[in-house]
Amino acid sequence: MSMLIGWLKERIPVSGDRLREMTNEPVPNHLRRWWFCLGGTPAYLFVVQVVTGILLAFYYQPSSRTAYESVRYITEEAAFGWYLRGVHKWAATLMIAAVILHQMRVYFTGAYRKPREINWMVGMCLLVCTLMTGFTGYSLVFEQLSYWGATVGANITENVPVFGTLMKRMLLGGDTYNANTLSRFFILHAAVLPVTIVLLLGVHITLIRLQGVTELEFEDQEPGEQKHFNFFPDHFLTELMIGLVLMILLSVLATALPAEMGPKADPMSTPEVIKPEWFFYVTFRWLKLFSETTAILSMGFIAFLMFIWPLVDGAIRKRWKGSEASVWVGLFAVIAIVGLTVWEAFVAH
Amino acid sequence: MTLTTKKNLIAALGGLFLVSLVLVQWREVQRREHEAGRGEAAIPVPASSQACVDCHGKGTPGIVAHWTGSTHAEKGVGCVDCHQAEKGDADGFEHYGAHIATIVTPLDCSRCHKTEYEEFAHSHHAQGGKILASLDNFLAETVEGHRAPFNPHSPTPGMEVTQVNGMASAFSGCQQCHGSKVGFQSTDGGVITLDDLKPGPDGKPTVPEAVERIKKDGTGRPLFHASTWPNTGIGRLNLDGSKGSCSACHSRHDFSPRRARQPENCGKCHLGPDHPQEEIYNESKHGVAFRDLREKMNLDAKEWVLGKDYSAAPTCATCHMSGHMQNGGKVTHDPGERISWTNRPPISRRMDTDENHAIVTETDPAKRRALIKDTSEEKRTRMKQVCNHCHTPDYVNAFYQQYDDLVVLYNEKFAKPGQKIMDTILKQGLRTKTEFDEEIEWTWFYLWHHEGRRARHGASMMAPDYTHWHGMFEVAERFYIHLIPQAREIAHKATEGGKADAGKAVDAVIDEILARPEHKWFSEGAEGQMDQIRKAMEQRYGKPGGAP
Repeated sequence: MSMLIGWLKERIPVSGDRLREMTNEPVPNHLRRWWFCLGGTPAYLFVVQVVTGILLAFYYQPSSRTAYESVRYITEEAAFGWYLRGVHKWAATLMIAAVILHQMRVYFTGAYRKPREINWMVGMCLLVCTLMTGFTGYSLVFEQLSYWGATVGANITENVPVFGTLMKRMLLGGDTYNANTLSRFFILHAAVLPVTIVLLLGVHITLIRLQGVTELEFEDQEPGEQKHFNFFPDHFLTELMIGLVLMILLSVLATALPAEMGPKADPMSTPEVIKPEWFFYVTFRWLKLFSETTAILSMGFIAFLMFIWPLVDGAIRKRWKGSEASVWVGLFAVIAIVGLTVWEAFVAH
Repeated sequence: MTLTTKKNLIAALGGLFLVSLVLVQWREVQRREHEAGRGEAAIPVPASSQACVDCHGKGTPGIVAHWTGSTHAEKGVGCVDCHQAEKGDADGFEHYGAHIATIVTPLDCSRCHKTEYEEFAHSHHAQGGKILASLDNFLAETVEGHRAPFNPHSPTPGMEVTQVNGMASAFSGCQQCHGSKVGFQSTDGGVITLDDLKPGPDGKPTVPEAVERIKKDGTGRPLFHASTWPNTGIGRLNLDGSKGSCSACHSRHDFSPRRARQPENCGKCHLGPDHPQEEIYNESKHGVAFRDLREKMNLDAKEWVLGKDYSAAPTCATCHMSGHMQNGGKVTHDPGERISWTNRPPISRRMDTDENHAIVTETDPAKRRALIKDTSEEKRTRMKQVCNHCHTPDYVNAFYQQYDDLVVLYNEKFAKPGQKIMDTILKQGLRTKTEFDEEIEWTWFYLWHHEGRRARHGASMMAPDYTHWHGMFEVAERFYIHLIPQAREIAHKATEGGKADAGKAVDAVIDEILARPEHKWFSEGAEGQMDQIRKAMEQRYGKPGGAP
């Protein structure tokens, strides 16, 4: 055994102490509270998605002739197929929810402020990639709602000024939903977007390690209390607990509320009610409130504002010292997002 | 939280996760057992039917399996709910503690499906049993068979045949679609039907003496007469006075709506040389689209509303019965509600119906108007609503113009003249009142009952080959090459046989018919007409090999 370790040390010149030092960075005390550990949750769920996604891809056939049947096969015939699909579907839902909650935590604690502005922007890119992965994944089932959801989504894209038509063509692989669309969605969902997410996560985590986690102070903190604790094993065990709770939750959800099959996509028959996945309800409702171009431009502006918010907030705070404008803007945004989502959920059209 | 607490928590959560995986494994095992057909029924069996399911699950597992997959089973409607009988029912008997009846009639179904029962009771389907005294029945019971048992022609090796059942063709043929008059074996060797039982409005017999004569087996179960049961004919005449059989379309015991929505279901009866509706549908673009797009028909949909649940293709049920977007999804169990012509009789009639849903035959316009409660145009409007889901109003109206033109052409050129010739021959005493004992009666029957219907049905459902080659072409051949020469021969023989006046009367009718412009080509030649047709074609398409 010692010979083997010696052989490995010669070829991988990393000492145990160095490794401990690298992995055992001090963690701020506030992370003892589990609800501040939500940043690790989407990363954990992403791993679940990659594993279940690879297993589902063994059976999935991305063409309009075979997609629905292959998903039906996974759901009804393949061994544990229903479980994998159920976990994949629920992990997607939880991942998007966790990303949104993580972003809200970062926003309301001001963790995006100097010098972490760039990491906020990387996080925004991760959010967009996550939503895109959800959109393309939903479309892969090729059932009526997912097909028409994708069609409506592509048509919305077309309304983007100047680049709209090109963006729609890039998304669909043609002017309309066609034989190439599903394989395009599949490559985006299973290769392009996951790889992009991995790269962005790498940058995201590297920046966190370089800058350290934002340190928060609480009123109930003792004056002489130690400000940090060890990543390993203390924080690692917390993350492990959250991971186990998530796996139990996913198993229960996949078993109790399994992913089902809607009617197969029929390009000739538009459903009476078309709904995207829940995380697009807010944009769907927004689109119904205004003309398409106004809605698209305003959504683009809001997204851009979110992207550069650290710079905008910095300017505000420079002009008005101690300003809490970001809290009020954030509260307004959360109320608007929840309100529009609930509104869309409770009405047919 | 201390590290030890965390470790303990992780151990507990790890255990819980393993339990959740056991749950997953249990579900997978269940799924596989269900897939292999070994799983327990996913539906609860009502307590009142548990004993039935336990026993019949072994004795007649197919019946239980069919029921298990039915909506009835899902909704907790068990065996006894449908098969229950009341004291005083002619067909009720004690069966392991339950008082039940073998045949479930539409009256029984109406306990839950009242609207469907009433719609069906008014439909032409429910009248299907009236054939029991018709020309078709005469064919089966007399021409093809014999109304009484008769001695065999010669011995049958391997089987002892003492008597031939002359009604076999009627029982196994006509009545399996049209419906039998359900009957019990009588203790005196006869058959006891509703004619003997005279059921009241509640379906219970009013003649106790007839009930007493019902023959029963050792357990007290009344014995059906094999000539009348099994039977699921659409117009079956039941012992409780109700007409029809719901299982004619909704096969027992799964009562599958999916099956009733498919054309093959109607094709059990609506096919063949005299009314090839299924073949006509198959030839039409509607049928072609259905075969191609069957998997897009959403046949398992709960309501199956055209335009909402599916639009890929129409089936028989779509056009004639099912709900659609323009009528609020209302289903009808009276297929006649959307039919504007009846093409059953020798001469097609408009489907103007009276308060009893019978076709009004009155010809006086004022009296006719007073009698009509539902006009053929109203029926056509209902059908057009279906058409409009996929076709523009102009398209639909033009189609109906083409259909009307074909029916009127058949009526006026062949049916009415043919009928007049047949009536004249009968009136002049040159044929007997017995049908099918003379060649010209077969000729006439083929003309309207087979070929004439094929032409009209073909036009009604857009099957050009049935309209023309299997239809009007054969009608024309039958008329000119068979009916007219045979009528002439009858007239000639009458003249030679000393009935000159009768012969002249028949000849006069034929001459009058053939002198009409539409028949002149036959008596005077049509060389000029061929030239005219050729010139018109050349004008339209140009001369062969030349420029237009």
